[in-house]
Amino acid sequence: MMRNVFSIARKEFTDAVTSKRLWLIAGIFLLFSIASTYSTSFGFRIGAQRTTRLMVQIASSIASATAYMAPLLGIALAFDAISGERERGTLRILLSRPIYREDVINGKIVSALAVIGLTITVSSLAAVSVSILLHNISVTIDDVSRIGLFIVFSIVFSFAYYALSLFVSTFSSKSSHSLVVSIGIWIFFAFILSVMSSLIATAILGPPPTRAITVFNMSRRQFGNFTTPGGATPQELEEYLSYMRKVSEISGAIQAFSINYHYTQIANSLFSFAAGPLEFGQRGSTIASIPTVLSTRLIDIIVLIVFPIVFLVASYMVFTRRQEK
Amino acid sequence: MSLAIETEKLVKIYGNKKTMVKALNGIDMKVPKASVFGLFGPNGSGKTTLISILVGLLLPTSGSARVLGFDAARDSVEIRRRVSLLPEGFGFYDHMTALENLVFLATLDGVPPDQREERALEALEKVGLKDRANAKVSTFSRGMRQRLGVAQALLKDPELLIFDEPTVGIDPEGAAEFRNLVRRMNREGRTILLSTHLLYEVGMICTHAAIIREGRLLVQGSVDELYRSVREAKGFRYEIRVKPGSEMPLQEIRSMPGVIEITQRDNHVTVLTRNDIGGSLFSLVTRNPYKDIVESLTPIEPSWEEIYRFYQEEDKK
Repeated sequence: MMRNVFSIARKEFTDAVTSKRLWLIAGIFLLFSIASTYSTSFGFRIGAQRTTRLMVQIASSIASATAYMAPLLGIALAFDAISGERERGTLRILLSRPIYREDVINGKIVSALAVIGLTITVSSLAAVSVSILLHNISVTIDDVSRIGLFIVFSIVFSFAYYALSLFVSTFSSKSSHSLVVSIGIWIFFAFILSVMSSLIATAILGPPPTRAITVFNMSRRQFGNFTTPGGATPQELEEYLSYMRKVSEISGAIQAFSINYHYTQIANSLFSFAAGPLEFGQRGSTIASIPTVLSTRLIDIIVLIVFPIVFLVASYMVFTRRQEK
Repeated sequence: MSLAIETEKLVKIYGNKKTMVKALNGIDMKVPKASVFGLFGPNGSGKTTLISILVGLLLPTSGSARVLGFDAARDSVEIRRRVSLLPEGFGFYDHMTALENLVFLATLDGVPPDQREERALEALEKVGLKDRANAKVSTFSRGMRQRLGVAQALLKDPELLIFDEPTVGIDPEGAAEFRNLVRRMNREGRTILLSTHLLYEVGMICTHAAIIREGRLLVQGSVDELYRSVREAKGFRYEIRVKPGSEMPLQEIRSMPGVIEITQRDNHVTVLTRNDIGGSLFSLVTRNPYKDIVESLTPIEPSWEEIYRFYQEEDKK
């Protein structure tokens, strides 16, 4: 049985690494990462304020690129994994061999894990290396550990989208349908849900105190240890912060349904980069230690790991139980 | 009689209570070993469903199927180890060469690594594609793909080969080559189940046949048995060819028992009888005055269209 799984995995891996689709995504990923890191380091050169170590901030730029590209990589590998075989008629030829249906799906999963792992590791390391060479940055062991952890979580994140798209693919008999549904889910999680969550929070809480908004906008750059320009009283500011904390809580609760949210939270904590919902009072000028990040983000890590497992099990059940004529 | 395939009251229902479609409705089929068994039926009659159940790709709703002694629902992998299938609507990996496709499939068939390429090349040679072994499948015509499909079924050394609509898309020359290949494989002692909607294919290569319609088997048996039963119902037909310019005396033939009709056209005399009078007719035409007039006496077999129509009508009754 394992022999068949590895035979299928080897063929799938060869197909993937020689496909234009993968090279295109890896290329865009790399360019996006390098452009982000270059723009971050360029900002520092012209005098932008550093809140933390340069390497960590550069890694955070790579993370923002990964947050978009990793799901696309997973979807690109999975959307036609089963539906494509069904569409081309190759599934009939495969299933006419003395193999179990499980062998087919297991082979595909093993290959996808290897391709995702390789693509994200190589792209991230390439982007980091280019930054190190371009800007002559010194790297600490802590930086390496953070980047290593980030790569592992990014692989799991990409794999989560692979699992989701594979699940859709096991149902579909047309790859185009599978692709549209998978991309739709990604757009919903990545963009629509965050907008929706803010709208819902605002709808529940009503509009924010008007004067406080003005005051906050004037002082946000100094947030953390600001003065109160424009004559805003500490009471007005506190009123605004309290409002925003509630928005953040409601919005966070809604976004907890999105795998992107949990990944962003983990990456945020690793690199303290400005993405995801605002968490007032939690962001400081110093970066949290790795054990602290892992313990405070334990729920996010569990969700990130459980999400692909759930969809893999579901895909597995649908595929192995489905009867193909 | 030793059987390669045996099904008993096989039923397959698709869909739920509202959308229920009964694809197979109590199929009892017996395929003798070392036969070429033609499974004939129009499109949508249940042929592919039946084949899919036989190789374990579908589970029956009820009933049972045994293939080479194995239960189709329980031991499908064991069956597929011994049976080669050319499924309907199959495809290959277009970005790979014909040889790469076959070597990959040979791997899954459990062919030892050192024999895979050799077996693949042998299979390609048998279907006349050896010179295109290293060409990508994307460059293949439909007929070539169909031949490649036959080649993949030859990779292992199967006891039973199942071909589902094997000559669809193949040109007449390719179809003739395929029939020769089937005969050759059958001479080697392999059983072949051939599903087709083309009646002439059944008559050309099959030793046994079954007619399936709307999920039910209308008839099955050896080709000779099927001919005989239609002849017995519809009458026996003989053609006597006389020498040009000769006059055939018909009086004696008319007086033979069971003769229904005699028609004469040019130098052909057709005799339709209720009984098999082949022996009596032969005795007649080999003595005077007939032996100097008659060139040949041939029993006319009913066509497969007639056989199909006959069983269809019988079924309606």
